[in-house]
Amino acid sequence: MASHTFLSLLLFYLYSFHLLRPIYCSFGSNGFETTSVPKEEEFSEELLLKPLPDYKVLAHFHFTSTSPPSSSNGKHHHLFPKSIAQLVKKYKIRELELSFTQGRWNYDRWGASDPLSTANGKPPGVELWALFDIPTKEEIDATWRNLTHSLSGLFCASINFLESSTSYSAPLWGFLPNNGDLRYGALPREAVCTENLTPWLKLLPCRDKAGIASLLDRPSIYRGHYHSQRLKLRSDGLNGIVIEQTLSVVLQPIDRTSWSMHQLFKKSLTGKCALAKSSKVFLEIEGNLVSQNENILELVGEADMVTNDQRDHSTIYQYNVERYSEHEALDIRVNWKKLLQVSFLQAPLHASRFLMGSGNERGSIAISLQSARNSTKGLYDNSKNCFTRVVIFQVVPWYVKVYYHTLRIYVDGAIRDAKDVVEKINVAPSEDKVSPGTLEMMLQFPCGMMSAALTLDFDKGFLHIDEYPPDANQGFDIPSALVSFPDFISRRIYPDSISSPLLQSYKGRNIVKSYTEVLLVPLTTPDFSMPYNVITFTCTVLALYFGSMVNVLRRRVSEEERLAKSKDKRKPGLIPLLISKISNKVRGIKEDSANQSQSSQPILGPKVVFKVVLIALIAVLGHYIFNSS
Amino acid sequence: MADDTSAAAGTSTETGAGTGSNLRTTKPGTKRLFLTVSVLISFLLGAPFLLKSTEIHRSPLPSAAISSLSDHLHSNPPSFPCHFQAIFLSPFKPSDSSLSLSVAERIRAQLSAQSCGNCNFTVSVTVDSGSSCRDEGDAASAACLWECGGGGLVDAIEGRDDQGIDELLLSAVNERTGGCAGRVYSVFVMEGRDERVVIGKHRHAWMVLKDLDDSTSVVSMIGTVFGDYFMRGGVEKGEYIPVGSDGNVVLSFSLLNSNPSDWIYDWDFQRTGEVLLAPVLEALAPVANITMESQVLYHAPKSSISYWDEKLEAYVVNTRDLPFFVNSNEWHLDTSLSASGRSKVLQFVVYVPSASECPLYIRTPEGEMSKTNAFISPMWGGVAIWNPPGCSMQSQGIHIVRDVLPPQELEKIIEIFIGQLRLLFGLNSNYVEPSPIFKVLASEKGFTNWELDLLYRQHTCFNLLSSLSTLQSLSTLVESLPRMIVMDEIGKQVELSLEAANLAERNISLGINNASALSSIRARALAEDAFFHPSIMSISYSSMEHYFAIYMPFFAPVSLHVLLAAVKEVKRYFAERSKYLTFRASKLKSS
Repeated sequence: MASHTFLSLLLFYLYSFHLLRPIYCSFGSNGFETTSVPKEEEFSEELLLKPLPDYKVLAHFHFTSTSPPSSSNGKHHHLFPKSIAQLVKKYKIRELELSFTQGRWNYDRWGASDPLSTANGKPPGVELWALFDIPTKEEIDATWRNLTHSLSGLFCASINFLESSTSYSAPLWGFLPNNGDLRYGALPREAVCTENLTPWLKLLPCRDKAGIASLLDRPSIYRGHYHSQRLKLRSDGLNGIVIEQTLSVVLQPIDRTSWSMHQLFKKSLTGKCALAKSSKVFLEIEGNLVSQNENILELVGEADMVTNDQRDHSTIYQYNVERYSEHEALDIRVNWKKLLQVSFLQAPLHASRFLMGSGNERGSIAISLQSARNSTKGLYDNSKNCFTRVVIFQVVPWYVKVYYHTLRIYVDGAIRDAKDVVEKINVAPSEDKVSPGTLEMMLQFPCGMMSAALTLDFDKGFLHIDEYPPDANQGFDIPSALVSFPDFISRRIYPDSISSPLLQSYKGRNIVKSYTEVLLVPLTTPDFSMPYNVITFTCTVLALYFGSMVNVLRRRVSEEERLAKSKDKRKPGLIPLLISKISNKVRGIKEDSANQSQSSQPILGPKVVFKVVLIALIAVLGHYIFNSS
Repeated sequence: MADDTSAAAGTSTETGAGTGSNLRTTKPGTKRLFLTVSVLISFLLGAPFLLKSTEIHRSPLPSAAISSLSDHLHSNPPSFPCHFQAIFLSPFKPSDSSLSLSVAERIRAQLSAQSCGNCNFTVSVTVDSGSSCRDEGDAASAACLWECGGGGLVDAIEGRDDQGIDELLLSAVNERTGGCAGRVYSVFVMEGRDERVVIGKHRHAWMVLKDLDDSTSVVSMIGTVFGDYFMRGGVEKGEYIPVGSDGNVVLSFSLLNSNPSDWIYDWDFQRTGEVLLAPVLEALAPVANITMESQVLYHAPKSSISYWDEKLEAYVVNTRDLPFFVNSNEWHLDTSLSASGRSKVLQFVVYVPSASECPLYIRTPEGEMSKTNAFISPMWGGVAIWNPPGCSMQSQGIHIVRDVLPPQELEKIIEIFIGQLRLLFGLNSNYVEPSPIFKVLASEKGFTNWELDLLYRQHTCFNLLSSLSTLQSLSTLVESLPRMIVMDEIGKQVELSLEAANLAERNISLGINNASALSSIRARALAEDAFFHPSIMSISYSSMEHYFAIYMPFFAPVSLHVLLAAVKEVKRYFAERSKYLTFRASKLKSS
């Protein structure tokens, strides 16, 4: 009996060891481990609420639609959005993820290695990647271009800017291991607003008319600190098409210690969407509250089920929306009796990226990795054989010309030879006005390392005058880099009694990853009126030169001098007379009236009148001619 | 060179002569005059080259040819050659000699408007009653004439139903006018007891009349069959044919559940609808390439107001409120992604009302319920209201009804949709017969052969006219914007489109139907390609102001210099010459 227990313990040990070992796995299988293929199109809606350590609340909406594999895909649909099925069929998409994000996921405070944050932390702006089921590279590029246009129309966003080859890249393993059929593009500056949310809601059968989505009160959700709206779809012959639509919002409750759903969203949940197969609200609290049995938390509203995940990282309270109606709305209220001290699971290394250098000519990009030891202490020892692997994936636009040979790696402040640290590297240098530079790099750091930094020098390129965006002086964005830790897998296994696509997706092997900040590079922006200035200046110089040349050739200097002398004797000319008059006026010397009357005579002479009339006539004629043309 | 030296001498002597005095001893030099004037002339000569070099590239469009063809088509719409033949299977003695002429006259009298897609017809009359056989009229070719010997048909017809007669006559027509079976429209006239006029599913009709003595009424009936049905299908104008310029049409069927918290209906469109609609699509294949798709939408209330009608015991929507029925805010019908390019999407909507407005009916202006409970919106599609059974019982249970639309109900709805499709294509959904003895056989395919011919003609004609109107708007647009870039590609497309249009017009008059349809589609597609060319909107950035802003800083001061210099030099030359001339005159006088 004892040996039996021992054996099972050993098995468990081996199993857990297996979990910690470096595992190469495809992101692709994330969360789509559906065991049985449903015969009909299905839809389910879920909401997960999670208090965050800084007293904010994360609300994560999760909608899943599935369409079984069928020949009528893209033609006849009941629940599944027709437009998406047609998109998949037309562009032969195997996987696609589109995210619209406002704000940046705070990995330090909101968690970095739990499945929720690794799957939902997205870079600011728009990020789009797709895997195609198309053999040749040219065809994939053409399909990608068409896809960006379709999505841009579908989601009311400028995704079509990802069409040009300067804005997307084809990473091989840094983002997601693939056979060259992946395309990745990001628009860091895209603003996200309700105009993107409305088409996204249109894909849900109930839209925001009923069910969990009816909580989406626009002012409340756009007031949040972080807002990320995603669409992820996967299509294969076995499971058909599966779309996951998620919306993660980080909200700040008015009262830190007590908040309720109604306070957060200014709306109440009165029932499920009639078409949803399941409709559930979860409340997840980090830490094992059930076993701790401490009175730190009071929940108003009775949960249908309370469970822990297998490794007791968190407690889940489940509420079935079906039970509630207009007379009795679901309103979960959380009162903290004692202020929460939850230490969130940090990523093994905290990544951040910044720019160095000054001036408009050159600079360098630095990525710094700080060890977050306290949380993952158990994993580290100082033995020499222990290494942590880090994968960095970065796309840099062509006008930031990165010199990849200048890569310097510092470990704990000391410069290290790249050979010792870099395990694998793939560089696709940028080509001017053709393609962006892509860097995929797998690094191996000793476990005991405290900090590491990477720097890369770059020159700032010059753009053609019409390549500048409207607000050029704001600077240019370098999209977020992705730092992932292939040895670390965030996964939570919940008891089988909870059947939920949302929690199911946490069972998948999500590699811990985090996106860095977006960088803003100021480039030399020209004075956009410059071409005109140059034209007018050059023309004036040329005109001066030409005029003087004509005069030199024409004028008889000696004759004119003689003339001028004889004229001096007789009468001063009109203009010198005027000049002398004005100068006299300025000096304040008054001329006698007789002189004045004499000099005013020629001004009003018939010759002058004739000239004025002639000029006016020319002006009128010119005006007439140009207007008529 | 010699001239130069003399001129130099002239200037040197000028100093001696002095300009102040009125006399000049030497001839004034022309070197400086020549210089300034040549600069001015070279500037003037250079101006056209400058204008030419700064010109915007505009491919020349054949606007004259476009407008002449379009004028020609408007004054003289293309008409297709058709042949009508009347066959008298019973002995018939016409009162006047030329029966065919009077039939033709009768048709022409009804042909009031010069509408597109009409026939340029020929009429022939054959009396084929056993022993006597007489041909009259003009046929396109001898092969199209009815071959005598169909006397047995009258007996064969006896005792058959309409469908049977139709098939029998089809085989007879195929047998006896084998040469041009597809292009001849026939009317069989015979004597019989029960009077009726039946228009078959193919290209023939038959009349059974009590007596054939009143030849005027017989002629007028034949004329009606030919003119109103075979030629125009009872339609006044059929200009709008909802087919995309690439010949594609997507029929998008949507089932709208107004409020899913009352009941949710699903349908099995894939099984029922596709089967029922497949023959229709097949029949329409020569006119358009049609694809189908379906979806079910929820939370899609209508936007017009309905109210309770005591008399009808139902909620009603008045016909005048129908324009507001389609709720474009909530009905996310979506244009189809699979509809590539410029294909047309026709929406067909089944509206399931919510419990608060059930049963819902459309009330006609006469205060009655609409028979079909459906309506169309031209070029958009059609809407049919379907009331769930038992909804009037107000059984608002707690449990939501989830049900599937019964297949027989769906069949009824699809029949309505086929009728709507006919209306959208410009045909009557059902014919209003001029007299009770008239009957039009309906095809199970939704469209009879002669109706398809009609559509085919109208479609060709419509394509031709729309391609020309597109080309004409393009050419007026290009003419109205002088600084607009017109790419060579556009010019080429316009030329090709015009060429195709000319070809189509010629083929129509020659009666080559397939070729004319193809080239008319091609003309329209090319014209729209040219009009919607992505570069068409890129009006040159260098506007007129821009142009002046660039060239003014150089040319304004330079031309001032050049002009002034030339004027001064010319003036001086004449002044000096007059001095010299006076000098010479005085010298001559003195001598």
